[in-house]
Amino acid sequence: MKRSKLVCILTDVHLWVPVVVLILGTALLMTLR
Amino acid sequence: MSQGVVAARSTISLHKLGVFCGLSAAVWLGSAEAPTKLVNAGFSPFIISMGMVMGAFVARWTVPTLLKGTGFMFNDLREKPHLIVWGLLAGMLWAVGNTLTVFGVRNVGLSIAFPLWNMNSLVGLAWGCLLFKELHGASLKSQAKVVGGALAIVLGAAVLAMATAQQNAGTPGKAATGIIAALGAGCMFGTMYIPYRKAYISGMNPLSFVTIFTFGELGTVTLLTAINSGGASQVMVQLHLARTMLFWPFVGGFCWVIGDLFQQYAAKYIGIGRGIPLSNTNQLWGLAWGALVFGEFVGLAMGARLLILAGSAVMIAGAVSISMAEPPPSEMENWDAAMHRECDRYGLDRVNVAAVVAGNDPLADDKHPRRWWEVLIMLVATGIFVWLAVGTRAQHITVNFPWMYVLIVGTMIPLGLCGTLLWRRTRFS
Repeated sequence: MKRSKLVCILTDVHLWVPVVVLILGTALLMTLR
Repeated sequence: MSQGVVAARSTISLHKLGVFCGLSAAVWLGSAEAPTKLVNAGFSPFIISMGMVMGAFVARWTVPTLLKGTGFMFNDLREKPHLIVWGLLAGMLWAVGNTLTVFGVRNVGLSIAFPLWNMNSLVGLAWGCLLFKELHGASLKSQAKVVGGALAIVLGAAVLAMATAQQNAGTPGKAATGIIAALGAGCMFGTMYIPYRKAYISGMNPLSFVTIFTFGELGTVTLLTAINSGGASQVMVQLHLARTMLFWPFVGGFCWVIGDLFQQYAAKYIGIGRGIPLSNTNQLWGLAWGALVFGEFVGLAMGARLLILAGSAVMIAGAVSISMAEPPPSEMENWDAAMHRECDRYGLDRVNVAAVVAGNDPLADDKHPRRWWEVLIMLVATGIFVWLAVGTRAQHITVNFPWMYVLIVGTMIPLGLCGTLLWRRTRFS
């Protein structure tokens, strides 16, 4: 994959919203165990 | 592509097609619960869930291979490799959400936990509006139909869950954590629809998307099950002990994949704001299996029966409301703007993507040569199911066979009808 495409992915809000929610959900799961 | 082939296509509107897909998804997602009801031997919910995901993994490779072939899927993925990240991410979100539901049910009971995570449709609706311009440009009446319909479906789910919860109210003293877990699951599932929608406005085929989704799903579920069950060796021991019942979660996983595929097509053709609430009416079908086939509500008080009728009516009214909210041209312009954003950002061909999004994939009518490994995939999948079926011990559960046959027929009809519509209108694109 070209570097420019990688930059597009990494600066895409559509990536970071699910990533942040996933991190929070995983943290919640680990807390509840 | 010849004119003759184009003329042979159905002219049904994409809105109607998406609505049929959403409702068919509900039937199959609800029916997927039925096989797991045959497991009554007190196995860990993590192991049952893992059995379903393993069945889903098998189905997510065989169904797309059967329908389109691996050549088509690999081409699709090669054209939009950036979406692999979102496919994996969606699978991981589902896995974490599904594990959170286990904690929710344990701590506050199904009656409270289910409606809380059922709010995923509202989360999806919010992301659809915020990130993909869904409902932008729609009239107030149309917006009210969608938002009101989604709220009605959540309300119906809450009423049904309250009426049908027969057992525990959860673990005392752990209510707050259970509620947080269930809400967290709703956020996970609702956010999972961001990758769905992104993939489809980029012109990806749902059948290609699910083959990537399943790696994120199986990998994360395996990891979480190992963590929650005391290590990988413990998981293997528990899977071995569960050998005689694993066939049922596998069948459930298979049904779930068919439901999820319809849900993916609904998300593609009517968006997540409309498609997800429709597929969330699956609770009605799960209820039908429980009540009519497994006799779960024998002896239920008249008040609870009335609540079930009221909850079902509210849910159906919500589904009808959304079905009647076809996006006007002013809203479709905003959908196109969201699509153009993806094309410009990732260098996709606007004309080609627009055709695929409209269900007219230029490559859909091309013949894709079948590969030898596709036969191998089919044989391995069939072999796994046969092997599991042979080793399955009969479960001692009373089943109402006439109703079971009626519901099986009722489940197959939408598969045949909606599958045919999808083929005739879009060639499964």
